[in-house]
Formats: sequence, structure tokens, C-alpha cells
Amino acid sequence: MAVDKSQHLNQVLETHRMAHINDLLDKYKEKRKEVKEALEEKYKENIYSPINSGSYAKHTAINVKFDLDIVIPFKRNSFGTLEEMFDDIYEFLKEKYKNDATVRKQKVSIGIEFYEDEDGHFINVDVVPGRELNDKQYSEDSNLNLFVNSKYGLLEEKTHVQTNIQAQIDHIKGKGDERSIIRLLKIWKATNNEPYKSFFLELATIKAFEKEDISGNLWEKLKTVMEYIRDNVTKDNFTLKDPGNSNNDVANTLDSWAKTNLSNKMSYIIDNIERNSDNIKTYFPINEDFEEESKSDNKYGLKDASIIAPSIPSKSQQFG
Amino acid sequence: MEFHNLNEINELVSKIPFVKIIREFKQNELFTEGKILVHNIHGLNESLDFEVVIYPQYPFKSHNSEAIKFVNKDLIPYKHVMGDGSICIHTLHSPNLKQKLNADFESLKNWVIKYYVNKENDTHYEHIIINEKPFNDTYYSYQFTDVENSFTKGEFGKIELIHLNNGIYKEKPISNYLIKSFKSYNHRKKRDCKWSEYYMKKESNSIGFFVFLKDVPALYNRFAFTNWLELESYLPDNFLKLLNEFQKKNTKHKNAFLPIVLGYETIDNEIHWITTLVKLGDLPTIGVSIKDSKGIKIKGQWESKLIDKKIDWAITRNSSYKYLFGRGTFCTEITEAKILIIGVGAIGSLVAKTLVKCGAKNISLIDYDVKDPENICRSEYEFQNGLYDKTQELIKILQKNSPFVNVKFHGNNEYFEFYIKTLHKDKTARKSYEESLNQFDIVFNCSADSDLMYVLDQLKLNTNLINLSITNHANDLVCAFYPNIYKFVQNQFVNILDNDVDDLYKPTGCWSPTFKASYNDINLLVQFALKEINLIYKENRTKDNFTLSTESDNSLNIKLIKY
Repeated sequence: MAVDKSQHLNQVLETHRMAHINDLLDKYKEKRKEVKEALEEKYKENIYSPINSGSYAKHTAINVKFDLDIVIPFKRNSFGTLEEMFDDIYEFLKEKYKNDATVRKQKVSIGIEFYEDEDGHFINVDVVPGRELNDKQYSEDSNLNLFVNSKYGLLEEKTHVQTNIQAQIDHIKGKGDERSIIRLLKIWKATNNEPYKSFFLELATIKAFEKEDISGNLWEKLKTVMEYIRDNVTKDNFTLKDPGNSNNDVANTLDSWAKTNLSNKMSYIIDNIERNSDNIKTYFPINEDFEEESKSDNKYGLKDASIIAPSIPSKSQQFG
Repeated sequence: MEFHNLNEINELVSKIPFVKIIREFKQNELFTEGKILVHNIHGLNESLDFEVVIYPQYPFKSHNSEAIKFVNKDLIPYKHVMGDGSICIHTLHSPNLKQKLNADFESLKNWVIKYYVNKENDTHYEHIIINEKPFNDTYYSYQFTDVENSFTKGEFGKIELIHLNNGIYKEKPISNYLIKSFKSYNHRKKRDCKWSEYYMKKESNSIGFFVFLKDVPALYNRFAFTNWLELESYLPDNFLKLLNEFQKKNTKHKNAFLPIVLGYETIDNEIHWITTLVKLGDLPTIGVSIKDSKGIKIKGQWESKLIDKKIDWAITRNSSYKYLFGRGTFCTEITEAKILIIGVGAIGSLVAKTLVKCGAKNISLIDYDVKDPENICRSEYEFQNGLYDKTQELIKILQKNSPFVNVKFHGNNEYFEFYIKTLHKDKTARKSYEESLNQFDIVFNCSADSDLMYVLDQLKLNTNLINLSITNHANDLVCAFYPNIYKFVQNQFVNILDNDVDDLYKPTGCWSPTFKASYNDINLLVQFALKEINLIYKENRTKDNFTLSTESDNSLNIKLIKY
């Protein structure tokens, strides 16, 4: 039986809402608060008030894979170099959480992965240190310089990149349709272990909405965005301007090999779903943990319960 | 019986511009023979004459050789001329006499220009021509492979041999051997041949001698010497002495024979060996008394000299990896990889055998199952082995197929599946399974076990895990790459593919029924999938899951769909 693709996608979005994991989210928020307070105490008047960023702040988070991001805006004269700033905050966090978490340097942030708690949860908080671009200007322009610790797209390691977290958050404000598609692409990324950056998918989606007429039901909208990515990402003049820094082209975070792969992927997804709507379940699966009981396919809770008979294999039986 | 129209042949040949007939073609018993002269070729100042022999099969080839010979014994020193003075040519196929004659004479002309006028050297190596003959009415063959270090000129010593088997070769008995090692008397060091562990563990049951000559023991670098006297300046005196001492120690075995392998350099410092056989009681040497400076024999002092005696050449083959797999392999990312195959039923055994045939060097196997006679028809298992543990039998089969693959069980073979399903939730056990699997570069899960597939998908792996399975009737094959295996495969089997589980092969009792498909059905898809996997590795393509589906409405098609 053909799947109603839009209905399915709506269910996918619904089952991936953060609201389903409020208890866990509270734990994350608690941890982030703890990290934030520790940093405020350590750096006192050297920093401005830390701000929450990342997917949760942008309302594009999904409940299968997420972390909470926190940006620490340092004052212009707090450190001699950006690298000193990056290393200092890393050393501090490493020492503070030496018994509780793995702390590691990432591309532009420091990742804190807390050890498994009593409920089996692994909580991640990413700390992004930034330094105001011009002395005493941050409160007005929110411009920051980030330290690039390891190669980030075209950006070489041990360099810096300018950004504006507030502008990035504002960029997606009020864009409800875009957010749904971004969340679907992030669900695809998370459940199919795709390597593409969320920020890339986010900006590509917003650009598709700007360039194309995106209308119809949820599947049609998603399909149009995927077609836009398929047809444009490999073009030489394809750019994705970072709303936090117009000189930063996020399209460059993928090399041409990866862009071709992304374009091919979009093509496979569209073709395979159009050929057989059941394929939508491979790319955009429902989060079964939050699927309502009544909507479940059968009373056994098994996906494959067409035949339950002794000694006869079910349809899911592989052979070899 | 007349095999050819002689008038037609004479007329066709006389019309070739660079050829003049000096003796007309006539049939002589089976062969049509004539004599021609080749002239008027740019750069050829004189003319060359050739006896031409046309075989009755002509214009067809026979045994992959041309059925026409151009013979001139004076040309033997030139390249691509056989010992009987015939020029070595290979031309196109044509059933048309005129076309074929023209092509073959054109090829003769090209030989004259390339090798007679321009004296060109080939860049590739051609084996020297050896008249390999049976010895005491039995053929003997010796295969060698690479060793760690090179040899120095004049080095000699003992070789250890492994007897492979006895068989039939050119309608006569043959005894096949591998050279296992070279033990140098000059350096007191032993060089092992780089065969797999399986062959190197075999007991050496006979010996021979080796001498590394460095220079090619052949006339014109092409025709192996035929008489021992020709080797006089090649074989060190000490080697001849050793040979005589060996003879003296073994006087009881004078009818026994001894292989002596002679090594020489080909191109790129590669070493080739050729083998001669000598009877212990009939060595090609003679004792000559040593004379002092005045020419007077010194009493009791003898030296060995070679005598005028025919060399008996046995068969020698270079079976190093480069030669054995020279005709085609998988890419090195696969052949050099450490590979594990979980589940060696129909798919797993086909995968294993194909990998080995395509040059894989390191394979481990896991399966708890036993082979029953009814498994044979669609797997690589053999009837002659009877009932057997699948892994045990497959290891034997794979080792027989390649002397360069090391095959073994992985870990606690039979209980792998049992333990991993029981213990995968336990942190320590899970970690040890991850470590155990991560030591491989590629892991093929061919177990068709959905539970195991689920468990493996949950592990944190650095290895390339590939899940291969098929639907009933082998209509479709599903290939999935970690970490996108479990959900993908489940969705394919449950929702996408037509897995007809009503029409299964007769269940016997409450034992699980099995799928219907022949060796051909399964292997067709397995080979297709392995070719795609090889391309993925060779060209560093993304590891996208894919399915193969056979469609046979009007004509057979296999459709590959990437996900």
C-alpha cells in the first residue's frame, strides 16, 4: 500500500519534537547552566553575557541527535591572541571536568561529552569561544572572531573567522516552513549517518525558499528543496553566504567531491521515493520511541507482522 | 587429398609486392610448401629467402598458432625466431584465404622491418625457449615464487621442495613440486619462498640444488643451452665439487635423480629459475687430476669438469603473486585488506572464493554451521569432502586455490553469534567485540541473520562492515554499508522488495525452510555486487547502499538502485 508521503513526513516531524524529551532536555539545560556559571565565574569582567546558540536556539533541533551550544563572547583585550583564548578555555574546562567528561578541541568549539549518567544518557555541551571584533562594540554589533583550531572547509587551521551568532539566529526567525524542511533534512542526516554539516543544509534550504516557488504539501516542499540542492550545489557559482559574516561562504565547507555526492544523494532520494513511496521510511523514519500506540501498524508492535505462523519465515527474512 | 588450391596460392602470393616466388607452392604429403624471397622493403638492402610451409588447416589457426610458417635458419639469432628458424607471427582471424595470406605476409614484412632491419628490443620479458621433456617417461614441474633478498652471482646451495601432487600432463604422468626455500652454502643463510603459511607449513620431502648464474644460460639469450659443456663458464667449480661429494655420499641411490635449478636475471632485477634433472649415478661431470705448474699430475688431487652431455630440462614456472594473478584481480584496497566473512553459506562461500580468486591475501571466517550434502549445489562446497564444518572445509578450498592467501577462523568461531547476541549490552563485552572486529579492514556479514545484523549495527566500528543478503528465488540482492544497515535492510525486505516467503523450499520438520535459488541465480547477483563493491573501493566512491533486482519479463535484466 502506498504511503501518504506528506502524512508520513508530518508524523516524522511530530515524533522528532524536542518536547518528547523534556526531562532529558532539562538535564542538558542544567548542565549548560552549570558550564555557563563556571565560565562566568572564571572570566568575570573579561566576558560579556554568554548566549545560547545552535539548533535549539534556532528551533531546528531534533530529538535523536543534538547538543546544546553556548557562545562565550570575550572582550577585545582579554587575550593577546585568539589561540590563547581558545587554549585557556580548553585547559580550564579540561581541568574542571576531568572526572566527569571527555573534553576535546573541535573545529571552532570545545566539546564536553559527559560520561553516561544513571539513565544511560550522554550529555553534550559545545562551548564556542569568540572575541569581540572591535573594542567595546560587541553590545552594539554582536560581531565576534572565532579561532579555527582545525581545518574547516577552506579555512586552514590556526586561523580565525569572523561571525555573528545573533545574526545567524535572526536569519531563521519567523521561517516556519523552512524550519520544517531543515528539521527533515537533519533527521535524514542523523538517521542515515550523513556527513553533511547541518549549517550547510540550513542555509541551502533557506536559499532554496528564496530562489524557488516552494509550495504544496510537505512532501512537495521537501522535494522542491532537494531538487534545488541536487541541481545547484555542484555549480561553480553556488554560494551560501553566512548571515553572521557575508565574507564567509559556507558552500566552501564542502569540497567538490562532497558536493557531487550530496547532489547524487538528493537525486537517489527523490527517485527512490517517487518510484516506491515506502522508501521514504528509509530516508525519513518515524522516531518509534514517540509513535502513538494507536498509529502503530499492528498490535504486536512489529513492523513485519503480516504473517505470524509457526515455522514460516516472515517477509523480513533475509537469505544467503 | 588436395587441401588447398595451389594455383590460387601461387597466384595470390605472386601478387604481393614485396614477395617473389623462387619455388612454386606444391603439396608435399600434408603440407603445401614453397620458397619465397622478400625484397623491396625500405631499409632492407639485401633480400631474405624463406621456406614457406602451409598446414592443411590453413587459413584457420591450430592450437592458437598460425598454420603457416616462414622458415630461415640463418635468422635464429634475431628476436622472435623459433629454434627451427620459423618466424613467430600472430595475425587476425579470417576464413578467407586471400585476406589471410595477405595478412600473414604483411606480418612477415613487419617482422623484417622491426627485428631484422631496425633490430628493435621489446620492453616486455619473453621467457627463453626450453625443450621441456619428460624424465624417465614422467614429467616433473617446479614452481617458484619471490624470496626476501636477491642472490649474488655464483651463489649456490640446497633447495627444499614440497611435493604438491601427481597428475597427468600431455598424456603422461607428472609430478608437481614447489620450491620451499633456498639454503645458500656461500652465506649460510636460508631464504624462504613467500608462499602462504599453509604451504610453508608443509613438510619438505625432497631436495635439490640451486646455482644463481645471473646471466641467461641461453643461446642468443633465447634458446636454453642444450649441452652441459655450454654451462662450463657459468657453474662455479665448488658447485661441481659439491655435486660430486653428494654423489659419493649417496652411492646407494645411483638411480635417484636430483633437480638443479639455475637462476638468472630477467628485467627489473627479477629472477627466473629453470630446472634440469640429473641422475645421481650419471652426473654430467668427470674427475680430472690437477696438474702442477709443470703440467705433472698431482697425486690424489682431482677436480670436476663438465662433460659433453645433453641437458634434461624439466618444467619450471614462476608462480609468484605477480604472475599468478597477473591476468586480473580486485583493487589493492581489497586484495591487501584484512577481511572477515561472517556466515559462509551460499553467499559467504561465493564471496570468499571470489575474493581469493581475485587476489585477496588475508581472510578470516566465522560460521557455526555444518555443511550438509544439500548445501553443495549452490555454494562453493564440494561433494567429495562429505559432511564437514563449513569453515573448515572452506579454509581447505581457499588454500587450495591460492598459495598467497592466509585463511583462518576468527576468534571463538562457533560461538561468535551466540555470545555476541548474549553479551552485546554488556559494556566490556561490547568493547571487546568492537576491538575484535575493528582489527579487520573489511567485514562481510553474509549470515542473513537479522538479529546479528541488528547487534552489529549497534556497535561502534571503524571497520567497513558490509551486509549482503538476498530475497527468495534470489530475485534481489541487498547490499548495505555500516552504519546504515539495519533499518535500511529491514525496510527493503518488509516494504520495498517482493520477498515471496510463501514459496519456500520444502520445510523438513520444524527446521527453518530455506529459499529457492540455484548457484547461477545467486552467483549472478553476488558477482555483480562484488564488482560494484570493487569499483567503490577502487575509485573511492561513496559507500551508498544498493539493491540489485532481476527482471526477466522479456529478456533478463539486472537493475542496480543506489540509495
